[in-house]
Amino acid sequence: MKKIILSAIVLSSLAAIFAFTLSQNWQITDQYNITFSTSGASGIFKKFTGSIAFDDQNTVTSKFDVTIDVNSINTGNGMQNKDAKSAEWFDAAKYPVIKYTSTKIVKTGSSYQSTGNLQMHGITKQITIPFTFKRTGSGGEFDGVFTVNRNDFNIGKPDAEVGTDIKLTVSVPVIKK
Amino acid sequence: MFKKSLLLGVISGLLSGIVSVIFQKVYAHSLGSDFIDIVKPVNIISASLFGGILAAVGFWLFDKWLKTKGEIIFNFIFIILSFASILWPLAVKLPLTVDTPELFPGMVIPMHFFPALAWFTLKPIFIKPQK
Repeated sequence: MKKIILSAIVLSSLAAIFAFTLSQNWQITDQYNITFSTSGASGIFKKFTGSIAFDDQNTVTSKFDVTIDVNSINTGNGMQNKDAKSAEWFDAAKYPVIKYTSTKIVKTGSSYQSTGNLQMHGITKQITIPFTFKRTGSGGEFDGVFTVNRNDFNIGKPDAEVGTDIKLTVSVPVIKK
Repeated sequence: MFKKSLLLGVISGLLSGIVSVIFQKVYAHSLGSDFIDIVKPVNIISASLFGGILAAVGFWLFDKWLKTKGEIIFNFIFIILSFASILWPLAVKLPLTVDTPELFPGMVIPMHFFPALAWFTLKPIFIKPQK
């Protein structure tokens, strides 16, 4: 009996280690693209960093931990950029980064879903991001489109001319570390 | 009168275009952004020339209709329109590949006043003040 229990412990430990080591670490390349759009405003975030551990065959140990620099916002208009960084909107001086940390990644058919905590403007909310992953030789690309309600994060006035639902389009090419 | 006005418009338009291009170079040298992909020198000179010709036609019409008061009203309208035109560089949305859109109005707004400046500077040479 002892032997069976011991074997089970050893096997499960090995399985856990094996599963853990299966997760591939990826390095984000400079060709990423983080865009946002809503009625009355659209643009990009130019600085995006973080760590990505992802295996398309084993999503259990996969994890995203990424950060966007709020000061890198570019709407294409100087006045809009200044407004976006001001206390009324992102308040970049007080909250300089937008952070997303995944807690669970699951495969859904040919795509994936990442559930995690999005921290923005000092407020943390759980959101689910659907995404796809395409392998390209020694690299790959993550693509996702999702919507965030800016009122959930107290960004801007609720009745402002800018739409409340912000569509985010994320394209992150990666290479194996 | 129309010929003199048109000649003044063309020359002041060309002059302001050349000054604007020089200003663009100076701006690029000082601040590192010339927005050359958005405002090409040929477009600057064309727009300035167009402004000068438009001013010439406007001046001629005001002078013809309103006689002595025509020039005063024309000058006011020329400046008001120059001021109003700065709304465009302030509101324009540049391509997202442009890293510093904040610097764009600083370069373009002065250019919007160069045609009027050139017109007022050169006018006494081409059209003598009425006594």
